Parts: sequence; C-alpha cells; structure tokens
Amino acid sequence: MLDFLRFARQQISVQLQIRTFNLYSLLLFFIQPAIFSAVGMVLSRAAGNAAPDLVYTVIGGGILGMWSGMVFTSTYDIRSDRRDGILELLIASPTSLRRIEAVRTFTNITASLVSLLVAVGAAVAIFHFSFNGIAILRLLLAVVILLYSLWCLGVFLANFLAWSRLSGSLVDFLELPMAFLCGFMYPITVLPQWLQGFSTVVPVRWALQALDATLLKNQEISQYWFHIGMSLLTATTFWLTSLWLDRKVHDHIRLTGELSSI
Amino acid sequence: MNPVKRWLRLYFIQAWFSYRALFAWSTPFNYIASKLGFPFFSMLLFIFLGKYVGLNDPVYIVIGNILLLPSLNGVMGISMTIGGEKQFGALSYLLGSPAPRSAVFVGRAFFHIIDGFVAVLIALPIAILVFHLDLTQTNFLWLALSVLLICITSTGLGFVMGVVTLLSRDGWMITSTLALAFYVLIGVNFPIELLPPVLKSISLALPMTRGIQAARMALNGAHFAELAPLLAGEVLIGLAYIIFGYALFRGVERISFRNGALDNL
Amino acid sequence: MNAIEAKSLQKVFITRRGFWRQKRKSTIAVEDVSFQVEQGELFGVLGPNGAGKTTTVKMLTTILLPTQGSGSILGHDLVKDTSEIRKHIGFTFGGARGLYGRLTAMDNLRYFAELYALDPLYSKKRIPEMLEMVGLLDRSDDRVETFSSGMQQRLHLARALLHNPDVLFLDEPTVGIDPVGARELRQMVKSLQQAGKTILLTTHYMAEAEELCDRIAIVNHGKIVAMDTPSALRRRISPESVVEITVSQENAVVIEEMIKKLDGKLRMESISSLTEQHYSLFTPEPETVLEALSPALQTRSIQGLQVRNQTMEDVYIAIIEETSRDA
Repeated sequence: MLDFLRFARQQISVQLQIRTFNLYSLLLFFIQPAIFSAVGMVLSRAAGNAAPDLVYTVIGGGILGMWSGMVFTSTYDIRSDRRDGILELLIASPTSLRRIEAVRTFTNITASLVSLLVAVGAAVAIFHFSFNGIAILRLLLAVVILLYSLWCLGVFLANFLAWSRLSGSLVDFLELPMAFLCGFMYPITVLPQWLQGFSTVVPVRWALQALDATLLKNQEISQYWFHIGMSLLTATTFWLTSLWLDRKVHDHIRLTGELSSI
Repeated sequence: MNPVKRWLRLYFIQAWFSYRALFAWSTPFNYIASKLGFPFFSMLLFIFLGKYVGLNDPVYIVIGNILLLPSLNGVMGISMTIGGEKQFGALSYLLGSPAPRSAVFVGRAFFHIIDGFVAVLIALPIAILVFHLDLTQTNFLWLALSVLLICITSTGLGFVMGVVTLLSRDGWMITSTLALAFYVLIGVNFPIELLPPVLKSISLALPMTRGIQAARMALNGAHFAELAPLLAGEVLIGLAYIIFGYALFRGVERISFRNGALDNL
Repeated sequence: MNAIEAKSLQKVFITRRGFWRQKRKSTIAVEDVSFQVEQGELFGVLGPNGAGKTTTVKMLTTILLPTQGSGSILGHDLVKDTSEIRKHIGFTFGGARGLYGRLTAMDNLRYFAELYALDPLYSKKRIPEMLEMVGLLDRSDDRVETFSSGMQQRLHLARALLHNPDVLFLDEPTVGIDPVGARELRQMVKSLQQAGKTILLTTHYMAEAEELCDRIAIVNHGKIVAMDTPSALRRRISPESVVEITVSQENAVVIEEMIKKLDGKLRMESISSLTEQHYSLFTPEPETVLEALSPALQTRSIQGLQVRNQTMEDVYIAIIEETSRDA
C-alpha cells in the first residue's frame, strides 16, 4: 500500500508539472466554459428571461470544463507520450500502463474540479446563487459520483487511445457530443426521447441528473438514488472494460508497432 | 522564367504543399471529424441550450454556425501552416531560401479559402435536410460572394495569429481562445446588438462580423444596395488584417536575423 | 543459460497507403534473426539503415511482439514472461526522444525509478551515482529541454542503469555525440561489461564495434549475414591488405594503366576529387602491387602511398555489398 502511495505521489507530481499546470488547462478549465456560459446567458436574454439559469448555464459551464479537462488531458497524455517516445518506455517498464493511467486520470479529474468550483463561485458571488434548502450531503455524494464517473471514463479512454495512433481522431468527436447528449448545460429532457437513449450508457449523464436535481431541489429521494445507482453501474462497467482492454492493448500495440509515432 | 510567372508558380505550388504537409488529414474520417465534428456538435449544443431558455427557432443558430466554418480554415488552419513550419523544423530552411515572401506567406491562404468554401457547401444541404432551412428567398449570388469574402477575410486574422504562434510556444492557445470567442463575438449565435458596448466594438473590429451579417441578409433575399456597406466594410477589414499580418511577419523576420528570435524558441 | 536468445525472429509491419481506398502494404523489417549472447558478453549488431537492428532490439526489449519466432532473456520467454524480463533489462535508443523536457534530469530519473519500483532509500543514493557516472551531476537540477542531444543521450544511459539491470540494450548510443563524449561513453560501456553486465550494442561506427565487441553480427535486409569475432570477420573476406594510393589527376591515367596489368590479383575502389584521384587496392599480395607501381614511385607520380590491413569498415562494406547483390 505504501509503495502504491509513493508511486501515486510521484505520478501526480509529474502529471501536474508537465500536463496540468500549463496554458492549455487555462483554456479548458476557464475560458471555454466561460464562453459557453456567456452564449447561454445572452441567448437567455434574447429569449426575454430576466436572469440566466444558474444551475445549467453557469454551473453547467463548470461541468463542461471538468469534462473537457478530463477528455483532453487524458487523451493528450497518450498522444504526447507516443510522440515524445515515452510510451515505449512506459510499456517496457515493470509498472503496468493501467496503473499509470489510473493515477494520471485521477490527477486530471481532481485538477479539473477547479472549473466546477470557479463556476459555483461565480454563481454565488456574481449571481447570488444560494445553497439554502439544498441537501448538502446528497450534493457532495453526487459530486463524488460524478468524479468517479469521469475517472472511469478517463481510464477507459486512455486505454482505448493507446490502441492505435488513429484512435485519437475519435476523441475529436467525443468532447462536445457527450456535452450535448448528456445534458451538461440543459436538462436532458430538452432532447427528443430517441436522443436521450444514447446517453443511457454514459455514467456522467446519471451523475449530472442527480447533481442538477439536488441543486434545483426538485427531485424525489428514490429518483436520486436511482440516478446514483445507474451512474455507479455504468461507470464501473467502463472501468471493468478498461481492465480487459489493458491486456488487449498491451499485446495489440506491440504487435502493430504503434507505440511510437515514427 | 519571368518574375510574375515565377511568383505565381511559387504561390500555387507551395500553397498546395504547405496545405498538405501542415494541415491535411490522413484519412477521410479524420477530415470529417475535424472539419465538421466539433462545429456540428457545438451547434447542436447551442440549439438545445437556446431551446431550453425559450428560443424555439434554431435557424438563426444553424446559419451562424455554418457561416463560422470558414474560420476553422482561415484562422486555425493558416496559423497552423505558419506556426507548423517551426514545429517541424522547416522554418530556418524557408527563411534561408530566396523565395519571395509574399508568395510564400500569402499563398498559404489559397487552399484554405477553397477548403472553407467547400465546408459551407457541404453543411448547407445538411442544414436544409435536417433543420428545414428555407432558401426560397435567397439571393444566391450575394450569398456565395459573402461566404467567399468570409473565407478570405478570416485568413487575415489567421496570418496575424500565425506570426504569434511563430513567436510564442503558447501562441496556439491564444488562437484557440480566439476561435472559441467567435461564438460570442461575431454574430454566430445571436445578433451582436445584444452584446455590451465594449464587446460590440471588438466585434466590429474583427473580420467575418459584417460578412456573416451580409450572408444572413442575402439568405433573406437582400440585394446589392442593402449589402454594399457591409461587404465594403468586410473587404476593408480583411485587407487591413492581411496587410498587417504580412507586415508583422516581415518585421519579425528582420528582427530574427539579428537576434535569432524565430530560430531559438 | 544464455543471457539473450533469439530464434528465427521475424517482424512484419502492415501500413496503409492512399486516402479514399487504402491499400495494405506489408513490410518485413526483420525476416529471420537468430543468435545467442552469453552472460557477460558484449555483442554488437551492425547494419545499414533499415536493416532491422532497432526492430530486433525492440522485440528483445518486449516493446514489440515478434510476428514469428521466439526468444528469451535470462531464460524468460519474450512473449510469456514480459513482466519478469522488464525487471532485468535496461535499454536506450539513439536520439533525444523519451524524456520529459520540462522536468529536470533528477526528476526524470526519480520518475523512472518509481516505474521500476525502486526502494526510495536506494533511489536516493543510486540517482546521484548514475548522474555522476554519466557526467551530469552538476546539471541534475536543470530542465532536460536545455540539454544538448549528447547530454540527453547520457541521461538515457543513466535511466537505463537505475535499476542495475543484468542485460543492457544500447541502440546506437553514440549517435550525435562529439568524439570526446563518444569515447567517454565507450569507456563507460566497457566498464559496465567488466562489471558483469551483458550488453547488446547496435552501432554504425565500425571502429566502435571493433573496439568494444566480443562478437559482431552484421544484419542486412532483416537477416544476419555474418556473425563472428571482429578478427574472424576480417579474415573471412580474405587475408587481404589494402594499398592506398593518391595521385594527381594528370597522373591518374598512367597509374591506372599500371594497375590494369595487375588485373585479377586485386580489387580496386577509387574516389576522385577535383585535383586528385585516390585508389584503394585490396590484394593478398601487396608486395606485387608495390613492385608494379615502383616506376611511378621513381618518377614521383604518386603523391601518397600507404599499406595497411583491412579495417572493420572494409569488411562491413564488402559483406553488405555482397549480400545486397545476392538479395
């Protein structure tokens, strides 16, 4: 256990230095969410609303920042390592890539939490959002489950991306489609029924439903636990799939020789 | 070879090779993913965001996001094909060559302009099918001209950002931020009249703002007399950015001969 | 037990060409490579670019899976026992890739020390030792992106030795390094062998292979075309000496007439420049050649003359040319 904690500490330190603390994170965690929130706010004004929706338009922007942060840092980790010739060294070390990616993804998710915190801070400080009457414990649990969902997805993506040089292109299709399908900045019920079906297997959708309804104080307790349960189930399925993928990836990329970008 | 012929030859040949070397994708899937993926899904996000807040007609947002497509080539693409020279280590060879800089620099825009125009041509029929876009009133000639103008004027901003990416390792970050800011600033998702005065001034100082307005009016059947002020403004702004971008590049090149700025970063 | 065993290793890469309809193309990078390396041996692998040296090394270091064939490192199977093998090998590839530029030298080594699950107390002692060994201790707190390529290569060697592996794979370790630095690196490699490590070294530099290696395998077109000790390889071509002659361009015709009379007794290579012509005459009878050229010596038509034994480079070029012709 102590060995693992030491290993984790080292990985977290390196990950923060080389990937997290840079200007790109500024774009992902703050600028992009702010711009999308700004569009939402102006559209709300154009529709004649006196004030913007704080949960979806403002805090939802923070959720988008978390998601973008996780997707891009997890995917760029593998792409950068491949390009810089480090992926080969990681694969050929006695430590499994799965373990390395688990800790890196954890670092990415924890760092991206800052986007949510800033969005909540803005909602409170600028728009006077109040936590009165909100079940705080349920809210915190929903946030933890959201983090767990993002972590499971991040680990899955990292393994998937290690598979091939070309799978990185798929990620360009991932960031906004998930935001659009999972109801990051609006209730999922705004989407037509058939579109809602797509996000059934995405754990983030369920975690968000639990989180947003808790903030809006309009959810029955049984529904809350249903959303939490679905999020846990789907997230754990992704994580188990990544365990299976790990072995496949390890052998496949050594067979195809796509460990390096040259 | 006569100098004009040489200039033209250099312009087109290196335009093609720089496009292929620094921007082109390896498979059709990659091309579609990058060109249409992000813009298409961000458009859908804004449509449903609009629906949630009470705007039930998505057409304004759809048209705006289609007209934004050329900026992907014009701003991001041009800055990549300029900044990419340094990334791939070819900048020194380029600067050490006797090739006229105007052909080499300005030529980079050519295939991006075409690419941007083609992207709009692909997106419009999709919009007609999916969102029942009504083109019965459209003045196609002025629509095409407005779109072409957007494709050209966006490259002016691309040249400026290209020089920024040459000078700074994080220049691409500034370019990416700018590209995101277009969603707010140039009339893509809502009229610029809804912006606060400061942001509206920034909007009017950017290329594409007037072009997008003109294109929207052409879609509704406007004629030249109504569009002329907007088109003239767009041409002037675009030219200003192109000339400024080129002058900036030449200035930085001259400074770099003394202090190696372009080589060392 | 041999330290390294390769049995009919083969590696085929599939690539795709075209944009719309992609065609598959198979490239045989390694066709059939077999050899054994004893424990404590320094084994060299020479070959032209694209011969398959690096691909072979990558298969033996478990980075690539062989398409066919098998191998083992210290008795552990390449395919089945990869985790065990990784604990006992260290490797470097030529070039500056493979390090985190934004981290310091020390931090890079700490990172890899963790990946190799080294005890922290051990790492604390071992990392500075390794940095000192490669001459980078005074730069340990500098970011790697400020290092020259030679320094990065040395840091790679330190990284490869952190966990004190039994077997080392060095893929072109002196590429891009200045002569002084290269000599120091070769001395390090020699002392590592003397410390009991088994080393497989790939290189383009013949003198390096000759100086360091107990045995050399020459690889061409994915196959081993010759394998023996350096002296045996030299004898393999034939017990030839090389007569090197330099003449001015005006005298070249006369000299060539003299050399033609010796046809059958020698093999000739020539290089011409603007003012001079240089001949390398490979012959088992250098005295016969000198006798034939003595009139030219007397008239001082020859500007430079040297008789020497064949170098490893001569042997290598002869073997590569011979095998390329056969291929």
